[in-house]
Amino acid sequence: MMKPARRIFGLLTGLAVPLLCVGAWELASRQSAAHAWAFVPVNEVWRSFWALLNNGDLALNFLASLRSMLTGLILGSLLGIAVGALMGVSRIANILIGPLYHMVRQVPLMGWMPLMGLWFGTGTFSKNLMVVVAVFYPMVLHTYEGIRNAEKHHLEVAQVFCFTRWQTFVQVSLLDALPSIFTGFLNALAFAWVATVGSELLFGTGAGLGSLMLIAQSASEMEVVIVCIVAIGVTGCLMNYGIGRIRKWLLGWRYM
Amino acid sequence: MAARLALYVNEEETVEAAGGTLSIRGLCKSYALEDRQVSVLKDIQLDIKPGHFVCIVGPSGCGKSTLLRLIVGLDSDYAGEILLDGARITAPSLDRGIVFQDHRLFPWMRLDENIALALLNHDYPKAEKERRVAEYIRLVNLTGFEKARPHQLSGGMAQRAAIARALVNEPRILLLDEPLGALDALTRVYLQKELQRIWMERRVTMIMVTHDVEEAVYLGDEIIVMDAHPGRIKRSIKIPLPHPRDRASSPLQDIREEILNELTATSPEPDHLEEAVRI
Ligand SMILES: Nc1ncnc2c1ncn2[C@@H]1O[C@H](COP(=O)(O)OP(=O)(O)OP(=O)(O)O)[C@@H](O)[C@H]1O
Ligand SMILES: [Mg+2]
Repeated sequence: MMKPARRIFGLLTGLAVPLLCVGAWELASRQSAAHAWAFVPVNEVWRSFWALLNNGDLALNFLASLRSMLTGLILGSLLGIAVGALMGVSRIANILIGPLYHMVRQVPLMGWMPLMGLWFGTGTFSKNLMVVVAVFYPMVLHTYEGIRNAEKHHLEVAQVFCFTRWQTFVQVSLLDALPSIFTGFLNALAFAWVATVGSELLFGTGAGLGSLMLIAQSASEMEVVIVCIVAIGVTGCLMNYGIGRIRKWLLGWRYM
Repeated sequence: MAARLALYVNEEETVEAAGGTLSIRGLCKSYALEDRQVSVLKDIQLDIKPGHFVCIVGPSGCGKSTLLRLIVGLDSDYAGEILLDGARITAPSLDRGIVFQDHRLFPWMRLDENIALALLNHDYPKAEKERRVAEYIRLVNLTGFEKARPHQLSGGMAQRAAIARALVNEPRILLLDEPLGALDALTRVYLQKELQRIWMERRVTMIMVTHDVEEAVYLGDEIIVMDAHPGRIKRSIKIPLPHPRDRASSPLQDIREEILNELTATSPEPDHLEEAVRI
């Protein structure tokens, strides 16, 4: 545990470079009118932030994005763990699904956009599906690897006590894979947020920080665009920090 | 020596025919190492009657753990025969328990959960399972640590928990791979007595690998002395003395000397010498 004084010092040091960037930004915006359009002055961004906060637009769109992300995260995780686990325990499943999975994984998320739009339209379903897919990939990979690398000694104990395959899976493999699954979830979370905003930007329908950004861009409201960018960045950052803490807490015994 | 030992009459023929005769015939085991086959066990012949306590001693790497793994059924890739009441062992069974050389507790479970897990495939009622778990935790002197996680236990405590986990099943054959090696002298003596008590009460067949010759002669009805490269049985010494025994008794001391001589006698190549001296 760090001392409070040191933590504050650490935090301040961490903020130094971002603050410098803001300063440089402000300096750039003061160069000329053209510059001021491209680099919206900081106080204008700040004003816009307050306006969006007060009229509820920011909260509305933020919550819409968050909801979309959580939906995708939950569905994608469950699906990913199921498929990864199946590939991990069953040789046949791995032979059947493995190659397809690794091939499909090579296609960037954006590559699916045209097809998804064609098949499912540009509504909520397609947006959610993008997030599900983004989460699915790392979850499958990490669940599979976690189960494959389950401690051989633990599996032998299960054998000695005559566990069935299902018992071995639930009592041993899955729990041995947990740290790996959590790492996967941590990755998935980062992907999920990016995919959520990305799908909003690309499909441009419904509420969401991405949609808000898209609308502001077409209306040439650069200050709103910047508020959105900062909001997206800060949210992603906070989520990573949060899940890191949860992970540490849940897997405390691993770190002792 | 053998003649002298015969004077100390035996009581061992009284074992009832509960079944569980282990006979090993011409057992050979080899591992593939890179492109060659390394012979780990060669032509092992062994007969163990139900209710006997057999100790296996031998230099490190002579295949003691491998032998136990084969008997418990974790590895069915061997030549020769391992027969239990005439049937070939091919898979583990709740009749056979093992305490591994390392404790192998599950780190995500508390101590009592770890022990209860051994009873997963027994259909005792819940209360009975709990009673047994508590009983065996008490037996290995870990009462009060039921809720501890393995990383909160010392090495010796974890090993005792592993012993409790193997015993809670009440197997007919219990294999022990240096179970007391990591314990302090006091706990070791205490657990030797406990093992002996359990063994005498329940007449479980016990096969124990140990590096401690004194422990072997204190507990064993028969001591198997193994040799390495390839692992084979060098000698088998019966100790027909009644239990419980007196550690300091001179016949035991004599046998201990004899086994130590046996283990250190053959002028081994330098790297074996080191192993032998360890014993
Ligand atoms: N999975 C394996 N693959 C290849 N070789 C193995 C394997 N397991 C064991 N061996 C080899 O078999 C030999 C016997 O190993 P084993 O663990 O049975 O020895 P041990 O008598 O129990 O030794 P120790 O007293 O040090 O525990 C060793 O030379 C080891 O290198
Ligand atoms: Mg060993």
